[in-house]
Amino acid sequence: MSLNTAPDDSAGTGAGAGLPTVLPPLDSPEVEKMHRRMRRRRGRGRLTAYITGAILTLWIAVPIFFVFSMAFTTQETVRSYPKNFLPFIPFSTDTMRFFLESEGVLQSLWNSMIVAGITLFLSTLISIPAGYAIARYLFRGRDLFRLAVLAVRAFPIVVLSIPLAVLYLRIGVFDSLYSLALMHTALALPTSILVVSSVFASVPYELEEAGKVFGASPFQSFRYIVVPLVLPGIAASGLFSFVLSWNEVFAAAILTINNRTLPALVLSSLANSPDAFQFAGGFFLMVPSIVFMFFIRRYLFNMWGQVTK
Amino acid sequence: MAEIRIEHVTKTFGDNVAIDDINLTIEDREFLVLLGPSGCGKTTLLRAIAGLGMADSGRISIGGQDVTYLPPGQRQISMVFQSYAIFPHMTVHQNIGFGLLMNKVDKAESDRRVRSAAELLHIENLLDRRPSAMSGGQRQRVAVARALAMEAKVLLMDEPLSNLDALLRLEMRAELKRLLADVEATTVYVTHDQIEALSMGDRVAVMLDGKIQQCDAPNTVYESPSNQFVGSFIGNPPMNFMEGTIQRDRDTVTVAVGEHEFSPPEALQPLIRDLSSDRITLGIRAENMETLAAPSSDTVPVTIEVVEPLGAQNLLTARIGGHRLKVSTHPSLDVAAKQQVYIRLPADQIRWIDPATESVLYKR
Amino acid sequence: MTTPDTATSASKARTWRYRVVPYLLIAPAIVYLAMFFAYPMYEGLVLAVYDEDALLPTRDEPNLDGSEVSKIPQGTALAIVDRSSQEVVGDENPDALTDPWYQVTADDPTGSPITGWVSEARIRVRDEDAAGAPVSGTVRPRLAATSDPLTDVYEAPNDRSEVIGKLEQRAPVEITDVALLEVWFQVRPADDPSAAAGWAPSRFLQVFEDGENGRVHRGTDGEFTTAFIRRMIDDRFFGPAVRTTLLLMVLIIPAQLVLAMVMALVIHARTRLSTGFLYAFSLPIGMSDLAAGILFFSIFTGNGLLNSILDALGIIDGPYAFLTADTVRWIIFAIVLAELWRATSIVMVILVAGLQAIPDETLEAAELFGASYFQRVRHIMLPLLRPSIQVALILRTILAFQVFAVVIALGGGDVVTVLANESYRQYFGLRNNNVASAYAVFILLLSMASAFFYLRAVRSEPEARPT
Ligand SMILES: Nc1ncnc2c1ncn2[C@@H]1O[C@H](COP(=O)(O)OP(=O)(O)O)[C@@H](O)[C@H]1O
Ligand SMILES: [Mg+2]
Repeated sequence: MSLNTAPDDSAGTGAGAGLPTVLPPLDSPEVEKMHRRMRRRRGRGRLTAYITGAILTLWIAVPIFFVFSMAFTTQETVRSYPKNFLPFIPFSTDTMRFFLESEGVLQSLWNSMIVAGITLFLSTLISIPAGYAIARYLFRGRDLFRLAVLAVRAFPIVVLSIPLAVLYLRIGVFDSLYSLALMHTALALPTSILVVSSVFASVPYELEEAGKVFGASPFQSFRYIVVPLVLPGIAASGLFSFVLSWNEVFAAAILTINNRTLPALVLSSLANSPDAFQFAGGFFLMVPSIVFMFFIRRYLFNMWGQVTK
Repeated sequence: MAEIRIEHVTKTFGDNVAIDDINLTIEDREFLVLLGPSGCGKTTLLRAIAGLGMADSGRISIGGQDVTYLPPGQRQISMVFQSYAIFPHMTVHQNIGFGLLMNKVDKAESDRRVRSAAELLHIENLLDRRPSAMSGGQRQRVAVARALAMEAKVLLMDEPLSNLDALLRLEMRAELKRLLADVEATTVYVTHDQIEALSMGDRVAVMLDGKIQQCDAPNTVYESPSNQFVGSFIGNPPMNFMEGTIQRDRDTVTVAVGEHEFSPPEALQPLIRDLSSDRITLGIRAENMETLAAPSSDTVPVTIEVVEPLGAQNLLTARIGGHRLKVSTHPSLDVAAKQQVYIRLPADQIRWIDPATESVLYKR
Repeated sequence: MTTPDTATSASKARTWRYRVVPYLLIAPAIVYLAMFFAYPMYEGLVLAVYDEDALLPTRDEPNLDGSEVSKIPQGTALAIVDRSSQEVVGDENPDALTDPWYQVTADDPTGSPITGWVSEARIRVRDEDAAGAPVSGTVRPRLAATSDPLTDVYEAPNDRSEVIGKLEQRAPVEITDVALLEVWFQVRPADDPSAAAGWAPSRFLQVFEDGENGRVHRGTDGEFTTAFIRRMIDDRFFGPAVRTTLLLMVLIIPAQLVLAMVMALVIHARTRLSTGFLYAFSLPIGMSDLAAGILFFSIFTGNGLLNSILDALGIIDGPYAFLTADTVRWIIFAIVLAELWRATSIVMVILVAGLQAIPDETLEAAELFGASYFQRVRHIMLPLLRPSIQVALILRTILAFQVFAVVIALGGGDVVTVLANESYRQYFGLRNNNVASAYAVFILLLSMASAFFYLRAVRSEPEARPT
C-alpha cells in the first residue's frame, strides 16, 4: 500500500457525478413526484388499517352509545318512534330516575356492590400467595397446578351453579349474598392467580434478594420492595374480579331469590319491565366494565393472552 | 448489472438521526462490508436498501432502477437476517423454497435450486427437518441457503455470524467467503466485527453516527484511516494517539511530544504548517513501532508499565510524554515491567491528525 | 461461630422450608378450587344420574326397627292394608309428619279422676310453661251433633289402645306429658295383591281420600337411574335447545375468528392509533351477555335504532317487528350479532398476543422473499398462530354453551332456547334439580368433547411454535 496517499473518496462527494443517464437528477421534480406517489402507495396498508380500525371501533361503540343515550333521556323518547338516532336525543335524567326509583333497584345495586366487593377481597387474598408461589418457587406439581388453574378457567358456570344451589339449600345458606360471593370468587380465582403470578414474575427476584442483602427480613423485602412494584397489577386483578362478579348473571339468577344482584334483577324483569328500565339497567351493567378496561389495559395480555404454559 | 447507488439518503426515528445524508455506490458484484459500532446506523441503511424501512429522503437505485420506495418483494434482492428469521413451522426444504414459491418459480426449477443451495451449504440431509430440531449453526446455514436459492442480483446480510459462538463463527466466516466468491451478486454485509470486515470485504465502509467515515479496500482502511475514529475503531489493539505541539521553523516543521521531537515527511510539511492551531495528534499502530534494547539515534527511551504476552507477540504498554502507547514486539525480546527500552517510531508510519477536524492529513 | 454440623442442619431447615412454603402458599387456592369446582362437578354428576328418593323400604313392623320386607319404587300405586300410630322417640326424625298426644289428668263425667292419653286434636291448650310446653287446657267441644259428645281417654298414646275413660267437653285437664305420634301404613303395590305387605311411615306416602289407596310419594333409598336423562331428552325444548346451541356455534365461531383476526391485524399494523383500537376492541371483554343482549335489543326492538334508521332511509314506512315468534331468524341473527359484539374481544386479545410473539424479522423475511400481505397472513401468521387459535376456539366453544341471558333478552327464552336456558328453566321454573343437573352435565360433556376435538383436529406440532 502506498503510504500517506489519499484514499478513494467515493464516500464523500461521489453523488451526482457520473450517474447512469436513465436516472434523472435527484432534485428534479419528476423524481419528487414519483417518490411521493410511491410513498403514498406504500402508505396504503396503513390507511386500510386506520379505516378498518375506525369501522370496527364504530361497531363496538355505536350500540353502547345508543343505550347510554337511551338511559339518559325522557321515557317518552325511549317509547317514541322513529327516533332521532343521531346525537340529538334530548338529555334528561327521567329514565334514570324511573329506574332508580323502581322497586328493588337500589337494593340490588347495593347487593351487587357487596357481592363484588367480597369477591374482590377474597380472590385477591387467595390469589396473592398462590400467584407468588407460582412465580417464585420451583416445586413439584407447579406445572400441574398451573395447568389445572388454566383448565378450570374455561369451566362452564352452568355446571357449577345448580349443584351449588342444591348444596346451599341443604346447608341453609341459599339466597345469601355471601354464598353468591363465594361462588363468584371461585369463578374469578383462576384468572386472578394467573395474572398475579405473571405480575410477580415481572419483578426480578434479584430485587428481593438485594433487599435481603441489605438486611431486610424476607417479609420486609416483600413489603417494601415487591409490594409497591406489584400493587398496580394486583389492583388490576382485583378490578377484574369485581367486574366479573358485577356482570355475572347465571349463578346470580340461580343462587338468589330475594337478595337479587343487579344482573339477576334485570334478567328476571326483562319480560315485564318497560324498555327504559332495561336500558338504564344496561347502563349500570356496562359502566364498570368500561372503567375497568381503562385501568387494566396494560394487563390485558396477562389476563387473556397466555396461550401455552 | 446490479450496481447499488445510494444518494443523500437520510432516515430519522423521531429526533434520532439514524443515517444522515449517506452517499455510497456499490459496484456490480462487489462485496461491500458496512462496519461500525453498535447503533451507528448499519442496520438502518441495510433495511433502507432492502426496503424494509423507508428512507425519509434521498434515492436508492439498484441496477439503474429507482427503488427508494419500492416494496422489498419487488426489488429482486435477497437477505440473511441477523436472527436468521427461519420460518419455524416449515421444513428446511420449505424454508429455502419459500421465496421461489412466492415468486411462482416452477416446481422442478424450484426443487433444483433448493437442492443446489442446500448442497452448497452441506445441509442436504436436513431438508425434511424442522428448524426447532436444529442447532444455531444449522439454522444459519438454512438462512444463507434460503437467500442464495433466490439467485437474486443483490444479497444483503445483517450480522449473519453474530449469533454463533466464537469457534463456529471463525469456521463460517471462511466458508461464507468461499461461497460468496462464486455467487455473482452484489453483496452488502453488515458487521460490527472489524476482523470479519477486513477479512471478507472487497471494500469496507466504516460508519459512525449515521455517517460513512471511510469507504475503501480493507488494507487502505487499516493502513490509511481517513480520520481518528477509523484508526481507533479498526485494528486490535487500536491505533495509538499522542498529542503534539507544532514547531514551525523557517524551513522545517517539527512536532514535539513531551521532550521528543518528530519530523513529518516532506510532503506533509506544508499541510502541517498551514494548520490553524499549534496542536496536532500523532497516530501510530502498535506493530509499526520497533522496540530495541539499546538506544540509537532515532529511538525514544520509554519505561515499560505492563507486558502482555499474547503468544505470537508480546504487547507492551509504555509511557511516552504523558501518553500510554501499546507496542507489539517479537516474543523473543526479553523484557519485563519497569524496565527501560527504546522504541523507534518511523516517520512514514505515523499518521498526522488535525485535532480540529480529526481527519488524517494526506498529501494531495 | 456455627460448627459445620449446625450449619448443615440450618441449611437443611432452610431447604425444608423452601420445599414446604410453596405448598402452603397454594393450599388455600387448591382447597377453594376443589370446594367450588371439584365438589360441585361431582355433585352435579350425582344429581343427574342418581335418584336419592327412588325406593321406599317397607318393614314387617310399624317402626324403624322392623326388618325390611321390600323396596317399592317412588310413584307406585299402593293398596293400604292397615294403619298404626307409633310414638316417635326423641327427635330422631325431624321431618316426620307427627301428631302430638297429651297425657292428661282430669275428672271424668262421674267425677272420679283419671289419667290417660288424648289426641292433641281434642285438647285446647290454655297454659304453657316458660319453655312453651303445655301445662293445662280444656277438652274441645264436638261440633257435629251426631257423634259422641264425650272424648275418649286411651291407655297409651295410640288410638288402638284400650279406652280407659271419657271426658266431658270443656272439662279442664292438666297436661303431664306429650308424645309425638307418627302414622305408619301397611301397604302393598296395588297391582300385585300377592305381594307381601310392609309398613312405611306416612310422610313417604300419599294416601288418597278413600283411605284405601295411595302411592309412594318419596323413597329413602337411592338408585342410579337414567330417568332424569330420559326426561331431559324427552323434554319438548331439548331438541330445539340442542339445535339452536349448535346453530349459534356454527354461525358465530367462524365469523368471530375472522372478525377477531381482522381486529388483531389492525392492532398489529402498529399505527399510531393501535393502543386506542386495542382499548376500543376490548371494551366488551368484561361485559355480560345480558348487557350485550340489552344493547342489541335496543337496536332490534320495534322502536329501536335499526327501524329508526331504516325509516329515515325510507326503506320501511312502519316499524318492522324483528323480535317476535314469527321472526325466529331475525332473533337468531340478533343473537349472533350480540355474541359477535361481546365475545370477539377475548379471541382478539388471544390472537394479538399470539401475533406479538411472532418476531418482526420473520414477517419481514417473508415480505422480502416476495410474499404479499395476504400471503404473509396465510403462510406465516396463521400457521404460527395455531396454538393461539386452538386456545381461542376451545375457550369460545365452551363459552358458547353458556350463552343464556342474551337469548332471554332478545327472544324471551321460549321461542328460541339454548341448553343453558333449559337448565335454568328446569331449575327455576320447574324446580327439577335433577333434570337441570342433567342439562348441566350434558353441557359439560359437550364442552369437554369439543375441547378434545380441537386439541386433536387443530393439533399443533411442537415444532410449530415460534421459537
Ligand atoms: N425502529 C426504530 N425506532 C427508533 N429508533 C430506531 C429504530 N431502529 C433503529 N433506531 C435507532 O437508530 C440508530 C441506528 O440503529 P441501527 O441501524 O439498528 O444501528 P446498528 O445496526 O448499526 O447497530 C440507533 O440509535 C437506534 O436506536
Ligand atoms: Mg444492527
